[in-house]
Amino acid sequence: MAPLVFQGSENFRLRLILATLAGKPIRIENIRSNALDPGLKDYHVSFLRLLEAVTNGSKMEISYTGTTVIYTPGIIIGGSHSHKCPNSKPVGYFVEPLLYLAPFSKKKFSIVFKGITASHNDAGIEAIKWGMMPIMEKFGVRECALHTLKRGSPPNGGGEVHLIVDTLLAQPITIHELERPKIMAIKGVSYSTRVSPSMVNRTIDGARKVLRNIGCEVDITADVWRGENSGNSPGWGITLVSQGQRGWCTFSEVIGDAGEVPEEIGMKAAYSLLEEISNSAVLGRPQLPLAIVFMVIGKEDIGRLRISRAQIDERFIQLLRDIKTVFGIEAFLKDVDDPDSDDFIVTIKGVGFTNTSKKIA
Amino acid sequence: LKALNGDRRRWDIAKLIYMNNISPNDCIKRWKGEDVDEDHESEIEEEEEDFFQKRNGTASNEKDAHEGDLETFKPYFETLDRLMQKWKKTDLLKDRFIGKPAFSNEDDA
Repeated sequence: MAPLVFQGSENFRLRLILATLAGKPIRIENIRSNALDPGLKDYHVSFLRLLEAVTNGSKMEISYTGTTVIYTPGIIIGGSHSHKCPNSKPVGYFVEPLLYLAPFSKKKFSIVFKGITASHNDAGIEAIKWGMMPIMEKFGVRECALHTLKRGSPPNGGGEVHLIVDTLLAQPITIHELERPKIMAIKGVSYSTRVSPSMVNRTIDGARKVLRNIGCEVDITADVWRGENSGNSPGWGITLVSQGQRGWCTFSEVIGDAGEVPEEIGMKAAYSLLEEISNSAVLGRPQLPLAIVFMVIGKEDIGRLRISRAQIDERFIQLLRDIKTVFGIEAFLKDVDDPDSDDFIVTIKGVGFTNTSKKIA
Repeated sequence: LKALNGDRRRWDIAKLIYMNNISPNDCIKRWKGEDVDEDHESEIEEEEEDFFQKRNGTASNEKDAHEGDLETFKPYFETLDRLMQKWKKTDLLKDRFIGKPAFSNEDDA
């Protein structure tokens, strides 16, 4: 079978994930070909190695210059592994894509990731635990957990997390979510490693001040890490999650840098959460790709999900295009039957994907 | 189709998404009506767009840079000051929350 061709390094992980799920070979060309140091970065290669570890029979070829990758996926086998993440990317960069694969594996996933546990651009521990995993639960993946063994702030890391996904599914459940869920509570956690615990409390105060007038319960806990288990660098951060009806949620996450004021970090997280709530219908922007992909690989049935106008952005379009390239499935967008609302309903017919790795159907 | 809430939508986003010859960035621009000239998609238009982007303020350039990298997990947010301005009053979001019945007493931020 001739491989599907993609250009550029964007959506690198997602394209490999989609190819693995579909079992189709892909070829990614022109990876950072105009950069001064062209080709794959260390974290790209690290991700390829991880993918190789959790699959059986995958083939990867990287060109001499590192700007082209040909990937022929094998079957997803999972199992117990340990993965050392390079310091250029946090563990979230590697854990997040595995969430797409883990439920469809032959054996249960149990992977220990070592490295940095927080960053400005990638998923933090709480973002995955409280932001992504509840979404997986909606699709039938009930037994998954991410245990924090050690925290490690950038730049030196030294953290350790354990991803466990025990649910093995043939295919995700079809969802129909046509209403905006109401938000019942906001919960959050503020953590610190190797800094004074007062930083945590000040961060929480900052967030509380903003959320005081919002009119729902706000519960933010402090999580201070000391000694051996707090990694090699000082750092702190906050994650806020809005908990909606029927288990839907949105979240925001901010981490502090040296010289920043904790109260401001807290406020920023709180305002970001409000912004994310106002911009989203059922779930937030970082959670959207996971939901859409799970809808695509669902049963041959129509799944529906309400999204807001603001959620249709560049990333969303690229996601749908990549899905079409790999699975040949188009999503339909329909205005909602409500003149006061700008929202859309995304309608996707599942491909009828079945978990080929499983012995019993 | 129902009334378009006053905005002039000339492009159907559902179709734009799968027009592979148009970059995602341009799709969004066209859809939101930010494009100046949409009759001919030729070099003229592209030139014009370059021209516009160069003269844009720093804020929107920052946004472009962020969205250009589709690998980042965390979405783009405006700066703290602007978010503060926007959310001084939380009335806009009230219908999204249920729970504490004490809306009215704590109204004044």
